[in-house]
Amino acid sequence: MSGQVWVYSESEPVANEVATAAAAVAQGASAEVRMVDIGSVRPATRGSGGRLLLKGPAGHEVSPAVAAEALARAAKDLAPLAVLLGATRDGREVASRLAAKLGIGCMAEVAGLASDGQGMTGERNVFAGKVVAKVRCQFPAVATVKVGAYPKAAAQPGESQEKDVGPVSDQTKTVGREKKPAGAVDLRSAKVIVSAGRGVKKKEDLAILAELATAMRGALGCSRPLSADLGWLPEEHHIGLTGVTVKPDLYLAVGISGQLQHVAGMKDSKVVASINTDKDAPIFQASDYGIVGDLYQVIPALERALAARR
Amino acid sequence: MKIAVCVKHAVDEAELKIGPGGSPLLAGAAGKMSTFDKNAVEEGLRLKAAHQGEVVVFMVGGTESKKTLKEALAMGADRGVLVTADTVAIDALRTATMLAAAMKRSGPFDVVICSEGASDTYTGQVPPMVGELLGIPYVGYARKIEIDGKAAKIERSLEDSVESVEAAVPFATSVVSEINDPRYPTLIQIMQASKKPVEELNGEEIAPAGSRRGVEVLSMSSQPTARKHVMIDGSPDEAAAKLLDALSKEGVLK
Amino acid sequence: MAGLDVGYLAAYALSLASVAAFALAGASLAHRLSISLGPGRVAGLGRDEMRRLRTGDPVFLMHLSIALGVGVTIADAIIAPFMGGALLLLDIFRAASVPLVAGLVVAFGWRVQRYSQSMRIGRGLGVTEGFASASATLQLVLMGAIALTTSELVLLWFPALGWADLLLGALRNTLITIYYARPSVNLIAKFDRPLHSIRAPFNLADVMAGKTDPEAIRVGVSKVSEFPADQSLSFDSCVEIGACEASCPATAAGRPLSPRVLVRKVSLLSRTGTGRESEVLSSVSEDELWSCTSCGACVASCPVSVKHLDLVYDLRRELVSKGRLDKEKSGMLANLAQSQNPYGFKNSTRAAWAEGLGIDTLSSNPKAEYLYWVGCVSSFDQRAQRIAKALSKILKGAGVSFAILGAEEMCVGDPARRLGEEGRYQELVFQNIEKLKSYGVKKIIATCPHCFNALKNEYPQFGGEFEVVYHTQLISDLIREGRLSIPPEKVQKISVTLHDACYASRYNSVFDQPRAMLKASVDDLREMGRRKEKTFCCGAGGSNYWFKVPQQESIAGIRTQEAAGTGAKTIATECPFCLSMLDDATKVSNSGMDVRDVAEIVAECI
Repeated sequence: MSGQVWVYSESEPVANEVATAAAAVAQGASAEVRMVDIGSVRPATRGSGGRLLLKGPAGHEVSPAVAAEALARAAKDLAPLAVLLGATRDGREVASRLAAKLGIGCMAEVAGLASDGQGMTGERNVFAGKVVAKVRCQFPAVATVKVGAYPKAAAQPGESQEKDVGPVSDQTKTVGREKKPAGAVDLRSAKVIVSAGRGVKKKEDLAILAELATAMRGALGCSRPLSADLGWLPEEHHIGLTGVTVKPDLYLAVGISGQLQHVAGMKDSKVVASINTDKDAPIFQASDYGIVGDLYQVIPALERALAARR
Repeated sequence: MKIAVCVKHAVDEAELKIGPGGSPLLAGAAGKMSTFDKNAVEEGLRLKAAHQGEVVVFMVGGTESKKTLKEALAMGADRGVLVTADTVAIDALRTATMLAAAMKRSGPFDVVICSEGASDTYTGQVPPMVGELLGIPYVGYARKIEIDGKAAKIERSLEDSVESVEAAVPFATSVVSEINDPRYPTLIQIMQASKKPVEELNGEEIAPAGSRRGVEVLSMSSQPTARKHVMIDGSPDEAAAKLLDALSKEGVLK
Repeated sequence: MAGLDVGYLAAYALSLASVAAFALAGASLAHRLSISLGPGRVAGLGRDEMRRLRTGDPVFLMHLSIALGVGVTIADAIIAPFMGGALLLLDIFRAASVPLVAGLVVAFGWRVQRYSQSMRIGRGLGVTEGFASASATLQLVLMGAIALTTSELVLLWFPALGWADLLLGALRNTLITIYYARPSVNLIAKFDRPLHSIRAPFNLADVMAGKTDPEAIRVGVSKVSEFPADQSLSFDSCVEIGACEASCPATAAGRPLSPRVLVRKVSLLSRTGTGRESEVLSSVSEDELWSCTSCGACVASCPVSVKHLDLVYDLRRELVSKGRLDKEKSGMLANLAQSQNPYGFKNSTRAAWAEGLGIDTLSSNPKAEYLYWVGCVSSFDQRAQRIAKALSKILKGAGVSFAILGAEEMCVGDPARRLGEEGRYQELVFQNIEKLKSYGVKKIIATCPHCFNALKNEYPQFGGEFEVVYHTQLISDLIREGRLSIPPEKVQKISVTLHDACYASRYNSVFDQPRAMLKASVDDLREMGRRKEKTFCCGAGGSNYWFKVPQQESIAGIRTQEAAGTGAKTIATECPFCLSMLDDATKVSNSGMDVRDVAEIVAECI
């Protein structure tokens, strides 16, 4: 039997992304991919190799502690070359625990995975995204794969395997789980932020920006005058020195002049785009992309263009 | 209650300089206490205020990192343990092994608190590894910790849900930044903290590496961070289309 | 005549005794606190009163009426038996009584108005009943003293009632002995203490050198007894005149602060319950302390030299030492510690604005005559960078040799000091002084009044003596000397009103210079009522730029409205913080006014 690369994630969509990464590693190492299920089979999981069901833990959803223990027991027997997980919060925990249990290396949140047969390499962002580090770990190894870095793998049939790891107990007990309220303003963790400034003429007009934010799967922010002075939006939307500090992937500043008060709160955004009628608005100096124009024309145009793409 | 808090002297990414070859200049780079570690120290101090006891700060680092240990002591921790090692050369598991070994020497601890991840390398691996190596329950990404006697109730903040988890003391945890507002130690308080005891342990002595290699960094290269200042013209529809093209090329359009 | 009357003699004796009691009370208090009441101090006070009077502040006019009214009546009381009838002196007193009575009547009217205002403000701040009644007592005493003095002056015209005049005087003198000996001594002791002076509880250089044990340093104040004696004297001297409260921007904006209430709460605290061992923060709220913009209007307007700001700084220091800071405040301090600027920008990029403009740095041109100290706002704020560019253009146009520190510049320290983190402030000060000395810097220009004030007035305290000028001083000199000429056709046809920055005008008496600049560069300069050293804050000072406090309206909004009231289309500022605050406020109010620094306006004309 050739070596195996295992894929596990508590999230099925993420597992399907990790499967693509695993295929790249498996190819370099001449190994096979195994999609791992713990406790019971999850029918939706896809992947290029076969399946591996770890029997013993009960139920559909297992805690990170149980998943790590089950994977460790199976790995001690089956000796996979690598175990890949999704770099979700739970995935990071499972991977770290597994690596600690096995005493092997664990690469965190990597993309660009490849293998030279003896180990695997990957790339990860460090120092707030300013630097890309190329990392390597000798097999056997564990890694978490950056979410969103790989397309989802196509479903392919493959052989199925089962392994009984015995009952696994958990030292902690999950007594409740609540969805975070949809549309809740969590600007600190938002990937996309559409932010409104004084270029917005009246409170009601914020609706078109909120719509755009929703269409871009982002959150709505604003500069100080809109929340502190005009009270058009609650204080938790306020981005800036006296408000929240954010670092999204995309920051779209709409009708914001770009005072330091505001810029200090969003300067670490990955990409900044801005729309302002004043071509001399300071915000353009803090932007990657700028459109000089009336937000009341550009925003609807952006919405149309977005809709056309989806 | 004996509380252990782990901190890291992280590279200050804001002040990081890039060498001519495009690789970051890590030797002599400005450092600071990893951002979220302040939340970990604060939570330790908060628990101490509620349950008495002591807060011991653990750190793996070189001598230049004592600044961070002092800052944690200035915030109010009682004493520090510095495990000396070359942090650039070692991986998360090695760091966790040294921390766990140091904690076993001055433990046992009722609560071990880390932050969700270091602000420079952000692997988020050390906290669960420490829990695992100490053999105590671990609950990560805590946004609220309540302890009543031996029973702890912790709220975990996940991507789109919040879990309530019960664990028994002793346990290890990692905290997210929303758990508290860390206090700011004044310069004078940092100077005053110089008198607090700090124990120095040699990492290699308390936890020999053996032949293990772990994760190695092969190379580092910088990514351009300066703003591009591209002005997009055309009619609103043209400009909108061009902007979306550019954004999807940047990979920031969801 | 009356002089032989036994009743009159008794009244005279009583009157003399009351004057002596006041003098003794003052002298013994001064002696206890080692304060000199010598003729030099008193003469100096007289000169200072005249200076303050010239600012046209009605409070001082009233204050002078009271002081002179008391003086005239006491003098009359003492020498009355020896005048023996219609002598010249009595005529002089009578002549003086007319304007003094007028002044006192106005003062009385103002007191009635302040009384109702202060009671309303007190209720808004939720003061205790005990406080309200103590407050009412002091204000009624003041009204009583004014009424008695007025009556005495009127009685000068009725010699037959000389005995009544003496009795009223004795009563009034008793009141002032009880209530005004302390403020009088305080006034004589502090009238000439500059607004910008702040107590430094330690010297960081001594700590670094091992001369001071850091353990022994006490930065804030927790109990009333910990205030230095002269500070306690200052707080206990408050007699509820209310001039501070009437001029305070925080009070005007409906923030939870009145300088009068703050000072009186602390003063009353030492007389109740646990006395001087009471915790000051038990009666003062955090929001109250953060509401202060350190604009200095309270201190500058106080007729008896109460130094409200001392209290604010000492208590803010206490909050900082106790770690009672929210994210905005602790974040700013952490930024200063880590990045040497309060915004957390990479400090090495602070001279990016100067790229391609041919501006020297001191390292490339150490012989430059002036160092231009850019300051953090003009370094990092894309809008305020235009001030730096404008000044550079002007200096180049006038052939002034200058250079900047570039990436070597750090925050001057003011935000840390005003927030109450004295250690971080001094750390920045000593680092900056070392840098400036290493380049042999002699002359410095600043475009930020906070940098200017710190460099000019505070750095010398730590061994950094430089000749520091404000950009408005230098530019107005260049215009006056003809080194910078604005041709008539370049004079802008715009209506402008000038917003004086507190730290330039009130703190450093620089206010004629920006006006000279505007007179040379625009054709229509309009003035707001509150101007020069009586300017009204923009709301950013005292580190308020970095955090928010509860308020009913914004201070900048109030100021912008006042500016709009002049009918001017442009607000000229002279401080990058004012520029930012007022710019925001004009956008909020949709007034359509534009806001520019005076240097920008001048630069557009050359």
